[in-house]
Amino acid sequence: MIALKTRRIDPFRIEIERSGAMRTTGLVYANHAIELTLEHDEVLQQVANVAMLPGIIGPSLAMPDIHVGYGFPIGGVAAFSKEDGIISPGGVGYDINCGVCCMLTGLRIDQVRPRVEKLLASLFNNVPSGVGSSNKGMAVGGKEFRQVLEKGAIWTAKKGYVPHDGLDAHEDGGCIEGANPDAVSDRAIERGRPQLGTLGSGNHFLELDVVDLIIDSEKAKRFGLFEGQVVVQVHTGSRGLGHQVCDDYVHDMVAASSRHDISLPDRQLACAPVMSKEGRAYFGAMACAANFAFANRALITFLIRGTFEQVFGGSFERLGMHLLYDCCHNIAKMERIMWKGSQTEVCIHRKGATRSLPPDDKRLPQRFRKTGQPVLVPGDMGRMSFILAGAKGSSETFFSACHGAGRLLSRHEAKKRSKGRQILEELLRKDIHVMAASRATLAEEIPEAYKDVSDVVDTITGAGIATAVARLIPFALVKG
Amino acid sequence: MPYELIDHTADMGIRVSAPSMEGLFEEAAYALADILGGRDGEGLQEVMVESQGIDRVDLLVRWLQEILYLIEVKGFRLRAATIQGLTETLALGVLQGAYTAEPLTTEIKAVTYHNLDITYIDNVFAVTIILDR
Repeated sequence: MIALKTRRIDPFRIEIERSGAMRTTGLVYANHAIELTLEHDEVLQQVANVAMLPGIIGPSLAMPDIHVGYGFPIGGVAAFSKEDGIISPGGVGYDINCGVCCMLTGLRIDQVRPRVEKLLASLFNNVPSGVGSSNKGMAVGGKEFRQVLEKGAIWTAKKGYVPHDGLDAHEDGGCIEGANPDAVSDRAIERGRPQLGTLGSGNHFLELDVVDLIIDSEKAKRFGLFEGQVVVQVHTGSRGLGHQVCDDYVHDMVAASSRHDISLPDRQLACAPVMSKEGRAYFGAMACAANFAFANRALITFLIRGTFEQVFGGSFERLGMHLLYDCCHNIAKMERIMWKGSQTEVCIHRKGATRSLPPDDKRLPQRFRKTGQPVLVPGDMGRMSFILAGAKGSSETFFSACHGAGRLLSRHEAKKRSKGRQILEELLRKDIHVMAASRATLAEEIPEAYKDVSDVVDTITGAGIATAVARLIPFALVKG
Repeated sequence: MPYELIDHTADMGIRVSAPSMEGLFEEAAYALADILGGRDGEGLQEVMVESQGIDRVDLLVRWLQEILYLIEVKGFRLRAATIQGLTETLALGVLQGAYTAEPLTTEIKAVTYHNLDITYIDNVFAVTIILDR
């Protein structure tokens, strides 16, 4: 461990100066309120550790929802040269393509509120959640499962679960290219196959929100948002399949790091050159897990649409239900960036961060070209979430932004603080209905376990990475 | 209980100690099973576990990953773990317990290498392990 020197650059940025084995500086996006959350954490050391890895381009970045992880910090973003940089399974994490999607409805809160209990109970019943949850109704055979791994959300559209015209509302069209099912272990398939179409547990959720405040009326209109509207957010990922893929390849990379003479400040940062045999094998397997996650969230939106149809009658189209956006939080992707005046291909690692493309970016579908990419920032279950739009300043973060509020308390501490409290009743007094598969998980997820998401959004908008479009307030949740 | 929970913002840490290296591997197995809700008081079915690593730290992670897999995926519930042979790179163990379809209480994604270091101080082996929740 090295002594780190930091200096505040401006109200939204703190630099970690280069020292010791660091190949570059660290750059943490934090206003003063966020800075206070960093004081007692090893998190800055983790940002510095990432800066020690070979082939890093630009600074080792940290979004304002940063908190301590293992290896990479959560909220960490780093770009590595395709030519002489690395790819690290630990830099993506175990829940590969854990991400969030937001589905819009045409319903107003006053139409939904009278039926909220029935709706929530039906969602809880129809969307499998909790520890080790499985979904026999959506299990597919081996050949079909390969298609899931290769095609992701495209497979769900082909099977009629989601409309084809909604695929462009997924990051990368809901399919990461380069997936190689042969690089996925039998054990990973065994863990993942029964879990397609399940929410899981921990911090995963299905949340009903009301659009409480429109901040940018023009962009909100283009996104299809209006005040009083009910929207649905889903947060989940690649379940056991992703966990096992990461696990398999972290083990392989521990040995590979040594073979490639890569010095590691933390073994969890085990890595290999991007284009090495080990690096390419990991990328192929990781893309499969990412595609599983795209398919998983898409299947859950199918279950949600069906539930709304049951409760409110009519078709989901008539209920105005369609996907606003679906994005990855934990991913490594090959992307082209402008670096020192020329187009450079890099392997971007986002671990607890989301992509944030600005207006006019050619990677965006036409409908988002004028607004920038929708950036979904879910908060804790008791306060608020935000919908942002990617802005020009995101070029300095390799088009990345925050992915949520970021944990403040350990799960252990959160459990201690919730002892003796009636969390469900506390939330109900705020008109937030919750159904949880586990009371223990609920205790770990109390609102004060997270940073105030408005501080996170203040930083990310203040730094020019994204602009605020709308604020959401939760009123019903399924917790895993 | 010869393990304690360690605060870790994102995940979960456990600190395990034992008077021998074999004991440390066994106690770490009990700690993991305990956290998952994967203990069983009576089962007598035996499962052999053979783990290989590039060194002792890698070996401990792989040993625990194997137990995590048996508990989470195969539904094994652990009564007893016994290390029968242990070198720097190889662990041979026997698990006793029972199989069940009952759900676990906690989901653990993986056993991480993060800052994992086995110490030997005052005749006690100890290790802190971060589990990804």
